[in-house]
Amino acid sequence: MAKFSKKPIELLQSIDYTPPRTDWMSTPNDFSDGRYAYPAKPEKIEYLMKELPGAFANPREWSPGDVDWKLPPNWKDIVHEGFKERLNKYRSLKVFMDVCVRCGACADKCHFFIGSGDPKNMPVLRAELMRSVYRKDFTLAGKILGKLTGARVMEEDVLKEWFLYFYQCTECRRCSLFCPYGIDTAEITMMARELLHLCGININWIMEPVANCNRTGNHLGIQPHAFKDILDFMLDDIEAITGKRINAPLNEKGHEVIFITPSGDVFADPGIYTFMGYLMLFDAIGLDYTLSTYASEGGNFGLFTNADMMKKLNAKMYAEANRLGAKWILGGECGHMWRVINQYMDTMNGYLQGPQMSTPVSPITGTVFGNAKQTKMVHIAEFTADLIKHGKLNLDKSRNDYVKATFHDSCNPARGMGLLDEPRYVLKNVCNHFWDMPENTIREQTFCCAGGSGLNTDEIMEIRLRGGLPRGNALKYVQDKHGVNTMACVCAIDRATLIPLADYWAPGVRITGLHELVANALILPGEGERTMNLRQEEFEELNAQEEE
Amino acid sequence: MARTEDQRRSPLSDLLASRREPLAERWTELIFGTYPEETQKVWASNRDRFTNPVGEAVRQASREVLDRLLAWDDAEALCRALERLVKIRAVQDFAPSVALSFVFLLKKALREAFAGELDAEGRLAELLAFETRIDNMALLAFDVYFESRRQVFEMRVKEVKRAHANIVRLANKTHGDSSAEEAGKA
Repeated sequence: MAKFSKKPIELLQSIDYTPPRTDWMSTPNDFSDGRYAYPAKPEKIEYLMKELPGAFANPREWSPGDVDWKLPPNWKDIVHEGFKERLNKYRSLKVFMDVCVRCGACADKCHFFIGSGDPKNMPVLRAELMRSVYRKDFTLAGKILGKLTGARVMEEDVLKEWFLYFYQCTECRRCSLFCPYGIDTAEITMMARELLHLCGININWIMEPVANCNRTGNHLGIQPHAFKDILDFMLDDIEAITGKRINAPLNEKGHEVIFITPSGDVFADPGIYTFMGYLMLFDAIGLDYTLSTYASEGGNFGLFTNADMMKKLNAKMYAEANRLGAKWILGGECGHMWRVINQYMDTMNGYLQGPQMSTPVSPITGTVFGNAKQTKMVHIAEFTADLIKHGKLNLDKSRNDYVKATFHDSCNPARGMGLLDEPRYVLKNVCNHFWDMPENTIREQTFCCAGGSGLNTDEIMEIRLRGGLPRGNALKYVQDKHGVNTMACVCAIDRATLIPLADYWAPGVRITGLHELVANALILPGEGERTMNLRQEEFEELNAQEEE
Repeated sequence: MARTEDQRRSPLSDLLASRREPLAERWTELIFGTYPEETQKVWASNRDRFTNPVGEAVRQASREVLDRLLAWDDAEALCRALERLVKIRAVQDFAPSVALSFVFLLKKALREAFAGELDAEGRLAELLAFETRIDNMALLAFDVYFESRRQVFEMRVKEVKRAHANIVRLANKTHGDSSAEEAGKA
């Protein structure tokens, strides 16, 4: 029998479950299933390489789970030259690389860090993955002193780590809000992803929608005639609900307004109800508008790949406004679409605006949207808030009495364009019951749905759920305290990703778009008596459920 | 969990209850220890439940679970208390064994605090007897963990279905097969 060197009592006290610790820089990368999104299909990359030379590369069958990623042999030069080119092109990138003093203000602000506890999800450390290479390659001190200055040689493992962590950033910019230097971490992520693309490192959830949008105008690659069938199908549903057959102009010339929204809302549940809401609103006010199949995806996944790709997809909005002769653009509920519009559109594509375009004026209220003078594009929440403010909508709030609502500020409209009060104003005017979540989780400080920037794919559900914990936790709080049963939002990705988030962290809370609730309360001229909501659920049953 | 008063009332209960707070605090500390060092610092220092949901869940769940363990009269309530933490660890980057290791860390905390003292008094068996509750709790935690994981897989499937809901409805309608539409609702 083996002899124990410890007394029994010491043995009893010696249990140790402390995990082994390693320095963060040398923690090995783990590419087990569920830790990465699937790479792009080669044909999508081949297609995009033809459409936009220089942005994408190396189409092939590969998997991040394999040891060999089939990188181009000169990948180090590609990354180095690509980095150099971008440092020269974007002064902001150089500033962001140099100016960080590692004060740590951002460290605990990222939803992925808060939920996962992985230090590499601290924005400062995520950016450090790139800065360490920058120091080695582009600063004198780094070149000479190497690791002493926190510089790192670009090796394959470093590149792989970029892929892991720059695809665990939703570009939500919550960390930027707290940075004393205003470093825009989303732009660091964008640059890292651009460099990865140059080596053919990418994810399909982003690349396929980008290819589809470029080809047919919507993210699923649906052809125009099928798009029209689906639209008619929604009109059937609206007729079943309201007893009224309304019209939805598609690809028609000579209307004042072109309406552009994410195509996800045409195909996906529950986005379709928000889309139906828009159509009903436009009918109620008699808006002179058209939809377009060519510019049917406002949500620009190009933003998540490469600045030129973003520019190309965004240009469709003006191209189609010009072709159809629209004076201005009304934009639907979307997140990153508004980041692109508000921050990049005018600079990138403003010159494409046709002479027929002018500063948007609401044809119903006469309000001049001076804030949209540059882009000629108005957010639907502003537009509807203005209609309500002027008493132009006939609303029956009581239809939404079964709804106990809260509002999730979608990151990009909130932090990217300051759209904070308009959606709340609309919501309070169409619902009798509304409660905000705690103040450090909403408005500018809103917590991301954890599916933004092209990460709303199911194969990384665990990553999304842990990243969604801060939002889910705040939601659970108002659910317990006020009986909140519905979370409204103004983003198509939210409408998809918040469903599992709520099911997991605050079961019983439903997700809805703002204009689904608007249309639910909206009385259309000539409609019949409504007995059901836009989801064709009977009010009677919903109210009875709520009373229980 | 129908038990007699004698079974519920461990001889140790009073002693543990009197030192519940330091015990819970030590357990909390040990659970924090399962996360990287940089993270522990942040989570230990921020007491806001909205900006530090994991840290606060660890703190609160450890206390609730300990109370339930001492009372040992309501399995449902114990599971609910466990769920708070297990649900989080079920989607964090842990192997299942590591995710649930926190349960056994309570044994470590208990032994650190009481083993020496009880050994000296010849009452070590009482501690070992009490620890069977922790073993049982580990089994309950496994149920909660598995249910959380099952939900994750179910949500993945549902999400894929929702993304094309309208196209499937349209396809069914176009082909005029009403039973297909009914099947789609199921």
